Amino acid sequence: MDSALTEISEFVQAIPPLDLLPSKLIEQIVKEINICYVRRGQLLPPQGISDENIYILRKGALSYATNDNELLGKYGEGDICTVFCLGNDEHIKVSTDEDTLLYSICYKIFAQLVNEHPDVIAFFHQTSEQRLNKKMLQVNEDAILNSSLLNSSIANFYHSPVVTVAPETSIQQAAILMTERGFSCLVIAQNNNPLGIVTDKDIRRRCVAQGLDISQPVSKIMTSDMTTIDIKNNAYDALMMMTQKHIHHLPVTANNQLKGMVTVTDLMNNEGQNAVNITSVIHKAKSVSELCEISKMIPKLQIRMAKLGTTADHVGKSISAITMAFTIRLIEMAEKLLGPAPVPYAWLAAGSQARQEQFAHSDQDNALIISNNMQPQHSYWFKDLATFVSDGLASCGFIYCPGEVMATNEKWCQTQSQWSKYFAKWINTPDPKALLHCSVFFDLSTVYGDSRLLDEVRMKMLQTTQRSTLFIAHLSRNALNLRPPLGFFRDFVLIQDGENKATLDLKHNGIAPIVDLARIYALSEGIASVNTIERLQQAAGTPSLTKASAANLIDAYEFLSMLRMEHQAKKLQQGEQPNNYLPPKEISKLEREHLKDAFKVIKTMQDSRQSTL
Amino acid sequence: MLNHHPLTRWILGYEAQRKRMLKKASHGPLRDFLAVPFPALNTPFEQIPILAVDFETTGLDAIADKLLSVGCVDLFHHQIKLGSSYHEIINSKGRLKADNVTIHQITDDQKDQGKPLAEVIEQLLKRLAGKVMLVHFSRIERQFLRQACLELYGMAPPLPMIDTLVVAKKRLDKRDVAYDPSELRLSALRANYGFPDHYAHNALNDAIATAELLLAQVNERGENMTLRQLIL
Repeated sequence: MDSALTEISEFVQAIPPLDLLPSKLIEQIVKEINICYVRRGQLLPPQGISDENIYILRKGALSYATNDNELLGKYGEGDICTVFCLGNDEHIKVSTDEDTLLYSICYKIFAQLVNEHPDVIAFFHQTSEQRLNKKMLQVNEDAILNSSLLNSSIANFYHSPVVTVAPETSIQQAAILMTERGFSCLVIAQNNNPLGIVTDKDIRRRCVAQGLDISQPVSKIMTSDMTTIDIKNNAYDALMMMTQKHIHHLPVTANNQLKGMVTVTDLMNNEGQNAVNITSVIHKAKSVSELCEISKMIPKLQIRMAKLGTTADHVGKSISAITMAFTIRLIEMAEKLLGPAPVPYAWLAAGSQARQEQFAHSDQDNALIISNNMQPQHSYWFKDLATFVSDGLASCGFIYCPGEVMATNEKWCQTQSQWSKYFAKWINTPDPKALLHCSVFFDLSTVYGDSRLLDEVRMKMLQTTQRSTLFIAHLSRNALNLRPPLGFFRDFVLIQDGENKATLDLKHNGIAPIVDLARIYALSEGIASVNTIERLQQAAGTPSLTKASAANLIDAYEFLSMLRMEHQAKKLQQGEQPNNYLPPKEISKLEREHLKDAFKVIKTMQDSRQSTL
Repeated sequence: MLNHHPLTRWILGYEAQRKRMLKKASHGPLRDFLAVPFPALNTPFEQIPILAVDFETTGLDAIADKLLSVGCVDLFHHQIKLGSSYHEIINSKGRLKADNVTIHQITDDQKDQGKPLAEVIEQLLKRLAGKVMLVHFSRIERQFLRQACLELYGMAPPLPMIDTLVVAKKRLDKRDVAYDPSELRLSALRANYGFPDHYAHNALNDAIATAELLLAQVNERGENMTLRQLIL
């Protein structure tokens, strides 16, 4: 062998799967190499090559992406680019990131040479199939996300019949009718000929705010240049029309006759179906890598939901449901791998996932609760389970919990009685520092397994917390450490330095204080719910919280969550990491006023909490 | 200056020389070589048939020193065709000097098993017919090949050449900044383009390395180059 080619042979032979081939064959393969040089920023295949080739990177770097520039992967020195080996895939383009030296080999000749090595051939086929698989997943992804809005008619969404009233009906009568029927809008019609529309907002703005007499005819406050949509349009058109005109109700007509009404909520519920669609895809996933692909849809779903004006509560619940589906699927895979559980157990979610307030790609907080029948030798099974699931979640974008609140942490992978001991200790001898760390465990929910395990522990725990004023006091003191940023001049106190300079920390200064307050009310009143809004609703009217304060807190919470959701959607759309730092410039003056109001509510509630200490 | 005059180019041009010598040449490898026309000067780079060539020798003097080995590879359509690569050691007379052996790493034993000079040159000419020869630092290859042809056939053919050293030198000269001549070495120029180290002083290896260098040089210029811009 010529020593020049020896050098190239050695290089080629070191690359898997070619390292499986005998030297003689490598020599033959090397003889088929054409060396090409491609400048940075050029598309492959190189000038003058049209054959189906494989390219071995001798030097430089390639990236391959979809036609709309979504990066799929990169090739570096010693990698084999197989994109072109089975015909040119027009959905993928490969370009050079650097000046690149390539060894190109005609795939047909190569395949003939390695004919007797099916394992090597399989490698090249497999990678193309994997690419195909990836592409299909993408197609599916779009299909799932676009769901049925585009291809379903409004006929599937509208309510019928619409409640209509005559134009001379009084405003009060109209309002009573709306309240009775639970509608947020009415159509004003004469002989089934629509004249206009009246919504909750019109009554508020055009009547109450203006001090208009409620005995006046409703036609005085109706919107008369009513936008309608013909029933032949699809749901997507309806959505676009509503988005453009900033309206939430759209009367549906057929042959200019009023047929019904479609609302944003109707369409939103359909978007909610997307979460359902995604969860059903998750249930069918066969491998962790497939789950990993699906997980890439979560931020997109969050953006879409935010754009549609879905409430933060709805988004939080959908995303939490999806995380739950991922976790369940991973546990099922683990059980298949490890065999059935030796004793009953339950996989628990903690923190925001348990409260169903999770947004795309937050960190994983989880734990395991195991039957008291557990034997020491069983701990291996649970350790393996925890590792498999937590690694799986990590590869799906749910980063490991920095505070190690994870089932992989032996401390949080314990029997029922040990959990009860933990809670007893936290409640009876509350150490403020430990409490700060462990407050996440007062928000637990069962994701998978025997839910009685947690329910029993929780029941016992709630009985104790209700009686333990010392514990509640400690918890409150911790919660009051986070204060809304209202300065002396009732202006915002912004973060002063670092990367998030001049921003408002929505999470720590706004959302977390309400979550903390809700937790305190729930624990003092023995409420088992963990979702913040549910906790507040259930605590409303108890000694801990008046109904009016509960309503204020819920409003503040929903408003702050919505701001955060919109801010995060904006970030996600810009391809940035979503965070909680809102620059006040990003929101309107009116929203800023609302924000101040929300902070005032929090401050009032915190102050009243303080007074109980 | 004289060289650029159209008339002198016509008289001294390699294609004209080829035709004139073809009439004089007797049957044999040299005549076969001369029978194939060279590419025209306006041939675009990708269509120039190029043979990258490197010689290992016992020294720098084409008359006193011996040709030890020949390596060559085709470069065409921006591609170096390893399937066309050729490498041969020449069994020349006399013993090798020890200090030289350390450079080219061809031992007396290997040399003695090599092919006769006539056979190797015949093979080289066969591959070179109709092509432009690509070398790095043309003096060695030009003089040794001329000398070999004179010895074997009594005349030396015209040899249109591209020299990667000259391509690089022209570029450096344009910059009007002093540079160290060592920057023009093959390995130094390759390093500029981030190319991997190559095992130097093997004729085929150097030929491939030179061809890779030319690809990078031509690509760097970006424009569509013709033979006229590259030829010596």
